[in-house]
Amino acid sequence: MKRQSSLVSESVLIEKLNRRDEQAFHWLYDQYSPALYGVVLRIVRDEEQAQDLVQDIFVKIWKNLDAYDASKGRLFTWMLNVARNTAIDAIRARKTQPSPSNAIRTDEDNVHIVDRQYNTEQPNPEHIGIKEVVSQLRPERRELIDLVYFGGYTHEEAADELKLPLGTVKTRIRAALQELKQLFKS
Amino acid sequence: MNVTEYIESGILESYVVGAVSEQERREVQCLSSIYPEIQQELDQLALSLENYALLHSVEPPADLKSRIMAELTFEQSTEPIIRPMPVDFTTDRPTFKASWIVAASVGLLMFVLSFFLLARLRSNQDSLAKLQNANSSLQKEVTQLKDQQQLLALLRQPGSRTVALHGNEKAPNGDMLVFWNPKTREVAVEVHSLPALQPDQQYQLWSLVGGKPVDAGVFDATTANQQIQKLRRQIDRADAFAVTVEKRGGSPTPTLTTLLAMANVDA
Repeated sequence: MKRQSSLVSESVLIEKLNRRDEQAFHWLYDQYSPALYGVVLRIVRDEEQAQDLVQDIFVKIWKNLDAYDASKGRLFTWMLNVARNTAIDAIRARKTQPSPSNAIRTDEDNVHIVDRQYNTEQPNPEHIGIKEVVSQLRPERRELIDLVYFGGYTHEEAADELKLPLGTVKTRIRAALQELKQLFKS
Repeated sequence: MNVTEYIESGILESYVVGAVSEQERREVQCLSSIYPEIQQELDQLALSLENYALLHSVEPPADLKSRIMAELTFEQSTEPIIRPMPVDFTTDRPTFKASWIVAASVGLLMFVLSFFLLARLRSNQDSLAKLQNANSSLQKEVTQLKDQQQLLALLRQPGSRTVALHGNEKAPNGDMLVFWNPKTREVAVEVHSLPALQPDQQYQLWSLVGGKPVDAGVFDATTANQQIQKLRRQIDRADAFAVTVEKRGGSPTPTLTTLLAMANVDA
């Protein structure tokens, strides 16, 4: 939560990043690595793999800075999406890696993999902040956000997993995000 | 399209958590660039998720940073990048300035030159008009002089007579000369002073032969340039000359009441 104030200087950071300035990298890493590491850890549940992935993620970010379009969203949001997608791809690959012939994943596989991750006890201790916020967020809403945002579930997969109608999943995602918005507003 | 309905449809929330199809993703990106309300809602949702993600922050191990940096390539530090800037600035600036000075000077020169040429053109036009005026007035004088010369040549011939006519009581100041050559039968008058006439009137000269008046031609009271007026009648005999006032164009018989002057021709 303390980092939020320093996020305001994103535009200055982006300008330096586009010059691939070393000082800018220090800034980028110091500012965002705990958040990215935390999210990746939340997805893969393995410290060693999470560290390898964060390394890949920062290299990816550094090489693809030109692809970042400030008009389409904030830098941190973009970085979070790079991290999320990389981590979700990794846990999906982990399942299919032993047999390359099964490289094409089925939805069932996805559900199974993420389901396994989702139901595992969290190895890392939760922040006081999480407890505060999450205690205010309705459990069924938090469950859905985590499934979709950290698990990479599609609407259909989430509906399957939670045994809910597709329409309910969609309205509940909206409700969860709106509630989150209100929580951080105050 | 109804923007409020679209915002409330839930697609923006699905977009920020990454649960939309590729087609939906493009649609949201397109619409958010058109409608500021959609962009604003997207920004707020994204910020909420950023905060949610920040809640999960875990400090990574200290060696991770150096591991990552070993894989990255950096540009030279900012100092060498900044240093050439003033050099470029100073080398660039004079040429920039000089080209502007040259451009401005050329412009000014053209401006002054065009004014100079315009002034020259005007004075040339003025002197041309003056010359044309002088030329036409000279031409007028030349034609007058030619006429006079012809008359003078005519009157200089042997036998030419000059008769001075003086006005009677109707024209006390009347004074004119009649030139007549019996051999060539030509007559001319030189008016020194005669009363001005109505526009429809003219003076008429008569030659008297044996007491009978013979039309010798009409003339005007002009005294300009001491002009000699050659009359269009031919007179072979004359005992005397007389002047009357007649209607313009002349009269076959003299109106005696308007007789102004009369003089005998000396033998």
